[in-house]
Amino acid sequence: MAERRLGRWAVVFLLLVLWGAWPGRVMADDAPPLPPGYQAVAENERFRLYVDPTTLAFKLLDRRSGYLWHSGVDELEKGDRLNRAWHAFARSGLSIEYLDAKAVSKRVAIANSEHSLEVTPIPQGVAAQVTFLEYGITVGLRLQLEEEGVRVEVPFATIREENPAYRLGLVNLYPFLGATRGGQTPGYMVLPDGTGSLIHFADNTKAKTIFYGRYYGPDLGMIASVPFDPEVNRPYPLSFPVFGVVHGEGQNAFMAVIEKGAAYGELVVHPAGILTNFNFIHNAFIYNESYFQATNRAGAGVTIVQSRPNAFDVVVHYRFLTGPEADYVGLARSYQRYLVAKGILRPQSASTPHIGIRLEFLGGDKEKVLLWHRFIPMTTVRQMAAILADLEVNNPEVVYYGWQPLGASSMPPTRLALEEALGDLEALREVVAAVTAAGGHFALYLDPQAALAGEKGYSPRNDLALAITNRELRSYNRNHVHFLFTATALERRFRSLAADVADRLGAGLALDGIGWTLYGDFRKSRPLNREETIAAYQALLAASPTPLAFYRPNDYLWGLARAYYDMPLGDSGYVYTTETVPFLPIVLAGYLPYYGPALNFSPDLTGDILRQVDFGIYPSYFLTHEPTARMLTTRSHWIYTSSSAQWSESVRQTYRRMNALLGPVRGWPIVARQRLAAGVFATTYANGRQIVVNYTDQPFSYAGMVVPARDAVLQEVAP
Amino acid sequence: MRRFLLLLLLASLVLVTAPSEALAPYTTWALGPGGKLYLTQDAYIPVAEIDLPLAGPEDMVWGPDGFLYIADTGNHRVLKLDAAFQMVATLGHEVLQAPTGLFVDEQGTLYIADAGKNAVVILDGEGRLLAELGRPSEPLFGRSQEFLPRKITVDVRKNLYIVSEGSVNGLVLMNTDGRFIGYFGANTAQMSLKMILQRLFLTEEQLAQFIKNVAPSPSNVGLDHRGLVYTVTAGTTAERSIRKFNIAGRNLFGPIHGSTTFRDLHISADGLLVAVDANGKIYEYDLNGTLLFVFGAPDRGEQRLGTLRNPTAIVRVGDTLYVLDKDKNALLLYRSTDFARKVHEGVRLYMEGLYQEARPHFEEVLTYNGLFIMAYQGIADACYQEGDYGCALAMYRYAEDRRGYSEAFWELRNVVLQRYLGSGLMVMLGLGAFAGVFGRVERRYGWLNPWRARLRRWRRLRLVDDFLFLFRFIRYPADSFYYIKKDLRGSLTFAFLLYAWVVTARVLSLYLTAFIFSPYANPAQIRVEREITYVVLALFLWNAANYLVSTISDGEGRVRDVVIGSAYSLFPYALFAVPIALFSNVLTLNEIFLYTFSTQLMLFWVGLMLFIMVKEVHNYSLSETIRNIMITLFTMAIFLLTGYILYVLFDQLYEFIRAIVQEVGLRG
Repeated sequence: MAERRLGRWAVVFLLLVLWGAWPGRVMADDAPPLPPGYQAVAENERFRLYVDPTTLAFKLLDRRSGYLWHSGVDELEKGDRLNRAWHAFARSGLSIEYLDAKAVSKRVAIANSEHSLEVTPIPQGVAAQVTFLEYGITVGLRLQLEEEGVRVEVPFATIREENPAYRLGLVNLYPFLGATRGGQTPGYMVLPDGTGSLIHFADNTKAKTIFYGRYYGPDLGMIASVPFDPEVNRPYPLSFPVFGVVHGEGQNAFMAVIEKGAAYGELVVHPAGILTNFNFIHNAFIYNESYFQATNRAGAGVTIVQSRPNAFDVVVHYRFLTGPEADYVGLARSYQRYLVAKGILRPQSASTPHIGIRLEFLGGDKEKVLLWHRFIPMTTVRQMAAILADLEVNNPEVVYYGWQPLGASSMPPTRLALEEALGDLEALREVVAAVTAAGGHFALYLDPQAALAGEKGYSPRNDLALAITNRELRSYNRNHVHFLFTATALERRFRSLAADVADRLGAGLALDGIGWTLYGDFRKSRPLNREETIAAYQALLAASPTPLAFYRPNDYLWGLARAYYDMPLGDSGYVYTTETVPFLPIVLAGYLPYYGPALNFSPDLTGDILRQVDFGIYPSYFLTHEPTARMLTTRSHWIYTSSSAQWSESVRQTYRRMNALLGPVRGWPIVARQRLAAGVFATTYANGRQIVVNYTDQPFSYAGMVVPARDAVLQEVAP
Repeated sequence: MRRFLLLLLLASLVLVTAPSEALAPYTTWALGPGGKLYLTQDAYIPVAEIDLPLAGPEDMVWGPDGFLYIADTGNHRVLKLDAAFQMVATLGHEVLQAPTGLFVDEQGTLYIADAGKNAVVILDGEGRLLAELGRPSEPLFGRSQEFLPRKITVDVRKNLYIVSEGSVNGLVLMNTDGRFIGYFGANTAQMSLKMILQRLFLTEEQLAQFIKNVAPSPSNVGLDHRGLVYTVTAGTTAERSIRKFNIAGRNLFGPIHGSTTFRDLHISADGLLVAVDANGKIYEYDLNGTLLFVFGAPDRGEQRLGTLRNPTAIVRVGDTLYVLDKDKNALLLYRSTDFARKVHEGVRLYMEGLYQEARPHFEEVLTYNGLFIMAYQGIADACYQEGDYGCALAMYRYAEDRRGYSEAFWELRNVVLQRYLGSGLMVMLGLGAFAGVFGRVERRYGWLNPWRARLRRWRRLRLVDDFLFLFRFIRYPADSFYYIKKDLRGSLTFAFLLYAWVVTARVLSLYLTAFIFSPYANPAQIRVEREITYVVLALFLWNAANYLVSTISDGEGRVRDVVIGSAYSLFPYALFAVPIALFSNVLTLNEIFLYTFSTQLMLFWVGLMLFIMVKEVHNYSLSETIRNIMITLFTMAIFLLTGYILYVLFDQLYEFIRAIVQEVGLRG
């Protein structure tokens, strides 16, 4: 034991000696006072990177401002509530959680475990290999300086589990990067929840437990099913793998963007006051999970660890901002630049001065009569054409839902076939042509992952993805419980239908489900983990012969989307978040047009329209020709109000009002957003125009004009 | 009062600066067609969760002075907060042990039910002890009755309505001197089939081990501005969980759409009743007990705004709903939305009887949600009041109000009757006279003789003869069964046709019965396959059981006789079920007697025919027949029971094997 420790120190010493002799080493001229052990390893125009080779902690000097970022807490101050284990966690650049034979998970950091650590210099950084000796677990890490900040990589090839009694649960990366004590530093953390939310630094929090949020939602492959519960609104899954920290608004900020590995990434947020007095936020990556394998229906069973680790590489970019850019708008813009550079976001061609409006029509649904089903038509193709002509809106984004034979509750076919009672393809082609001529887009609704429970049209034996417990995955959407297809079945069905829709209809597809549901498939014949599934989806959808719009797509589909549907109007409402911000709208504004949820279901139409104007969200409505009461006996009764006779006037008014405000800024990115007073916000666009929204019941005077109560005003030139 | 409202308004302004930005953790449901709940726009959205220095608080009340009083049970005190939820004073910490119920009257006097002392404590506004009321000493209170006050409310005459835990007699009514006045508004015990069976078959000793079937005691109590008392009761059926009492203590609410775990209720001055249950669901009703909205989500550790963990008290003032959570030690605020405000305004006017004024509000509500039953009810009543019965009829149909529909129908039928009754009678008389004359003349000239001959030829067909045989049963039931037994008439083919006819008649009558009398508000709710299964199963079991029982008790009938005999016994149903259903379409609730009587007569006839059938086919005496029928019914029950037991056993076996296979696969 002692010899081993001695050996370890020898390695470290040797490395330190080598380090000093390394010719490429950056000389510290304007070095800030640093604790001993930190070595400057890389430098560029903006930053200088220092690394402690014993803990892999780093410090980053922002040369523009002289601000020094710490990846951890070196010395405790009086009043810090960190015990030894916590302090080790806070000091180490990397810590793991292992799972023992009983699937119990424990956390160890570099600083409080027996380990061997090999650090080798690489261009602009270091590569390290940590082995937690007691558990036989090895993790490799590459830390490099890049133009915007720091790049951290954990290649899967470096991960080794050599002791069968212990498995690698998860890897925590730089948990205390940018951590602050209580309310000492003004600022906030930015969470990718809904449109985005902030947690301002304070001494206390309403949170009782740490927030753990899987990017892209929980893995259905591990939990097998999302129980059908229409009485609750599930929280939004984190749809893009980004978080931010702002130290003083307009002073310094950084964000973490996961380039690879987000499918197994987890966001961990600890506002000061839960367990410690620090605010910290970081990413953890999950390699193995325990799961409960039931052995009978009564619920008895065993907890075991998955047999093979999740295979994925991790690449995280930490991007650092300073000066006026250092706020959530600047972070969103920085993320936007990142996406543009990667070719994911492409500038919109603003060919028309009018905004779009999403109009979703329900074709129909089936009802059970005696022993068979009867189709109840709600909007035939001709009725849809008549309603559209009557509404006189520009650029309508028309989505046809429940178009397939027998309507919304039956499986969409793999060849284009319209329910006969709705009309024929010829009539539908005319509608498509009319919509296109009006500058809009026509799409058929499709949930390509969903195999509706109890419906025919797929093979329950071969087509369904399986959970790790060998059960079919189950979820629900639009009041339908459904199983989920394997990637193979999904590919086959989608290719066939998309080709048909492109050839015979010339319309697009509006894809629900696939944008916000990501699952691993444990089917023996072709297992596919979440990262592989993302790649499969991207490959399939990139080759789509018809344009695609997505409902609430995760970031990996933004590059393939023509439009974003059902943009949230806020966050999930966690009690400890302090402000809702339009982070996601700012990222997408000017690049990907986004439409809100259907306004029929809004309990406060004026308020929600204001919010959409504030966030640059385009309106949406759900319409049917027949009165809603006709489909009460169908599964579509969740669309409880939709009759065009009731809603047409509201559609016209809303469109006119929002077009007047948002039309002039169509296709322009958002560059600034300010809170002018409680409930009054001003959003500035890149073309200099500004929209001021007043949510309050009092008129608001601003820059020589008055914004009436619960209203919004467009300014030609931002003051 | 005005100052109080002003304060509240200020408070809500302080808290609610921006509109809600978060997704509500729950969806909101409203009562729609068929008594079912349908999704609707949110009625309330969560706006704040205010942590307070509390320990397991059990009750709260907005005092008339504009302060919020909270019974801070675990800290043995009452907390007084201002409208911005800042602590102003703590009261009663030297006298209180575990305050669980609280009421503040117009003078600022506090009435506290203390569960630690099992007494009612009365404090003045400064927290000075005025009185402490223990167990009443009056013999009327009951010798062994315990006094365990938990909740309290006080009316304007200073009568104390006290919820005493475990009191089967209802609320304890006392005056401020501690004198017992009486019990008020007792619940009734519910008897289930299971209990009846237990009572029949178990011994005294076994029964003694069960919890006594007593009336559940109310869990909470509230008063409306007119002084009527309301209670919620947990552990009773959902339909009876909220009750509204008149002065005499009689329940005014019919069956309501409630919950079995209600914790608290509050009745606001604008005619709305809100209640919260242990699962964090919040219910809102009008003062007739009609459900308007239900929403709410339990906190499963997600820490989302608006979820409840252990709610204990609810108050609604203005547009804000305040809910106290005992586990969170926090006050949750929900604000009503635009949509709910429209509903509330309509309901307020409607409750005041201003139907015409309420109508535009309800019509607006319907443009937002066409499934909102309450709105149809409001419009229907307005139409009826205006005398527009056609509109009322249509709207009552939507609202599924059978009484209203019946009354509107009566008015419409009355108009038709008045206009056409005279001429209709004339036409009928004329037709009668014509038929008489035609009959005489026809007999002389024999115009219809070719038809008669054709009919005779038809009779030679077996099935036609079987059919005509049916009508013989009306006059000679006993003889006719004899014919069957001797194979003289009737056939198995026709028997099965008859059974099919009965099944069809059953289904048709369900569809054809008028809305007023139909158990289904909408034909689409009829589950045809289930109805068919029930009828076919009953017929099959009867035939099988009767034959089997008869063979071992000296019955003479063969399977064929029983099957054919039973079929012919059902002829009254086959003949009359559909006509009665059709007839119901011209009746109103005033003539319900005609409908029920004819239905019962038909069923009685069927029963009688079956009785005669058993007697004749098996050649039994009267007493043997009765015994045979009883045993047949018993055998049918045993068949069902056996089927159920077999199902359960095989299910267990399957489950057992599956578990073994799975476990071996995992561990082996």
